[in-house]
Amino acid sequence: MEQSDFVKGIQSCRRRLNMAGFFRYLVSALGIGAGVGIVFQAASFVIPVYYAGLYAVLALFLALLTALAAAYAKRISMEQAALVMDSFGFDERIVTAYGNLDKEGALIALQRADAIRQLQMHQDKIRIVLLPSWKKIGSLMGLIVVLLVLALLPSEMKEHARELHSVKEEAKEKTEEIEELVEALEQLGQEELTPEQQAVLQEMIESLQASQSEYQQASSNEMLQAAAEKLNYRYENMGSQLAGLAQSLQNGATVSPVTAESMQALSNKMQEMSGAQLAKGNSGQSGSNSGNGQNGQNGQSGSNENNSGNGQSGQNGNGGQNGQGGQNGQNGQSGNHGNGGSGQNGESGNGRGTGTSDAPHDYVSIPNDIADSGNLTGNAVDHDASGYFHAQNGLSWEGTHMSYEAVIGSYEQNAYEGIAAGKYPSGMEEIIKEYFSNFN
Amino acid sequence: MSEWVNGGLPDPAYMAQRIAACEQEIQKGIIGQREIIRQVMLAMLTGGNVLLEGMPGLGKTRLVSTISKVFDLSFKRIQFTPDLMPSDVTGTNIIIKNEQGSAFSFERGPIFANLILADEINRATPKTQSALLEAMQEHTVTVGNDSHALAEPFFVLATQNPIENEGTYPLPEAQLDRFMFKILVHFPSREELKGIVALTEGSQEPVITKQMDSDGLMAARALVNQIPIADAVMDYLLNIVMDTHAGNPYIKEGASPRAAQALIRASRAKAFLEGRFNVSFQDVKETAFPVLRHRIILSFDAVSEGISEDDVIEKILEENAIL
Repeated sequence: MEQSDFVKGIQSCRRRLNMAGFFRYLVSALGIGAGVGIVFQAASFVIPVYYAGLYAVLALFLALLTALAAAYAKRISMEQAALVMDSFGFDERIVTAYGNLDKEGALIALQRADAIRQLQMHQDKIRIVLLPSWKKIGSLMGLIVVLLVLALLPSEMKEHARELHSVKEEAKEKTEEIEELVEALEQLGQEELTPEQQAVLQEMIESLQASQSEYQQASSNEMLQAAAEKLNYRYENMGSQLAGLAQSLQNGATVSPVTAESMQALSNKMQEMSGAQLAKGNSGQSGSNSGNGQNGQNGQSGSNENNSGNGQSGQNGNGGQNGQGGQNGQNGQSGNHGNGGSGQNGESGNGRGTGTSDAPHDYVSIPNDIADSGNLTGNAVDHDASGYFHAQNGLSWEGTHMSYEAVIGSYEQNAYEGIAAGKYPSGMEEIIKEYFSNFN
Repeated sequence: MSEWVNGGLPDPAYMAQRIAACEQEIQKGIIGQREIIRQVMLAMLTGGNVLLEGMPGLGKTRLVSTISKVFDLSFKRIQFTPDLMPSDVTGTNIIIKNEQGSAFSFERGPIFANLILADEINRATPKTQSALLEAMQEHTVTVGNDSHALAEPFFVLATQNPIENEGTYPLPEAQLDRFMFKILVHFPSREELKGIVALTEGSQEPVITKQMDSDGLMAARALVNQIPIADAVMDYLLNIVMDTHAGNPYIKEGASPRAAQALIRASRAKAFLEGRFNVSFQDVKETAFPVLRHRIILSFDAVSEGISEDDVIEKILEENAIL
């Protein structure tokens, strides 16, 4: 054995030691990783942990990385390898010879020759075991089997976690969608709008932010459904409001066409989203809601079927044109105010109230044309300040003269707007709706 | 010297063979006590002095005289007593009268020999004990204004009785530190005692023959001093010495740097005696006891708990595990 062979022998031993070290670290680290994975899997039986499986895989992957890092950080040097070789009965001959490879001297040469001779004679004594003990490997296998069994075992909590996850995913998606709308609203040329119009936009933004908050807090399908219903209602409302705003801006010609067009586009988008909202996630509920459809009675926005009407005038028509907003089908019960025929399918309300009724009332006002009526005065978006007079067949009524149903309708509308704006506790919303439905 | 040196370096194989022959020859005159003989051989190979602690009659004097015969060295025995004066050890200047007149002349004391047996060294006063200090460390003797070199090899083998404390002067730490080894001589086993009796009371004394001379011994020392030590082994050795200081509750004072030097030399000599040209962890472990046991001062805790120096060293060795 030459000196180069002697060094190669140490290098070979070193490689083997490093491999053995890596396997040792790997088994230990995977054992810890599997233990952590088992904890996650066990926890998923008690608390909802949707990503328990992913966490377990991550723990094992981290264990692998840790083992690699540890094996690299604690890799064996040539001197350490020589020391290990010496531990097989070479009495530190090898490490001494390796340490003095670059030195000269008669005794150094003698020592080196002695080390090489001894190594040549007794090389078979050096046995470096690559794999850790079978006991350790067996323990690791046992842990991995337990981990797999836990991962594959079904449980109600896992189902619950999946449901929660889908709720969160959808809520996140909707939150982002709302965020985009809020940004779009904020980007509308507000400096060109009147303070009143700006206030309306601000209300819309706040309303959307309220929906955003509801989605963020949603932790079940029911909460998600409730938030979706509110958002849909808000979309409808805002769509018609924006359309009205756009129309008035175009008529007034005080703003740039770009702003008006942006507003109109946004209005269209909201109308579409309103429809898509129901078509997408709530088809199940919309069917069931078609019977009670309370939300529909505020259907003044429905008059905006062609995006040209002043939706707000609908509320004043309370009962007349209000039928068309019944995307939830509530117009069934408010049939005395309108036919609302297209509303009950839970789709976007495109019905148009014709305002005929057989029910006895103290007074009922039925304007023939609300969009183009020259008799309509006041600000289109200012509900409270709106007034009207109507003349037909030689009879005329002052704007302050309102019927009983109109008063109820006005209250009802305010109440629903409050619900849409999230002003009331969620538990109270159904009670409010039921209360007003009793009047119809 | 030429007999032992070939081309500047003694032939290690031949040298090791001769040293082994010396050891066997000594064992002819001393029954048992193989460990003691081995440690004395180590001290001789490294030029160290030895303190033998044991009961009287265990063959200490016989050991030294046998060694002197085997290595063909001059041998002097000094019986230390309370009235022994330093000049009785080192020698003194005396007035010599002759035909030319009178003049001072240095009369050498018994210290001028290769092998000195300082018997019951703790019975002499500290003043006389101190007379040995310079000789042991520097291998010179200074009397008046003149220093006199001692013949090489110079080797002091002192003895002391561990149980008779009355009328003794314990050796100061400075002097203890100059002994390379402190060897505990234990009572022989029954078989060994039988052999001793047969040897000493028999009709025929064993014939001890010279195996090596002083030149050979010096050449062997030179060879031993060149034996390489791996870094890992050196670290292990130094850790052991350092651990006699590192807050050990049973140690009041730890070993001196001289202990580390002695441990290195002793380990090299042991490797050489075993036919190796490198120092192993085991060499360090085995020589740690005689090198360190007289260099550490036990704390009150150790004394009160009956813990000996060897117990403390054993613990230090256990804590410095090797591969």
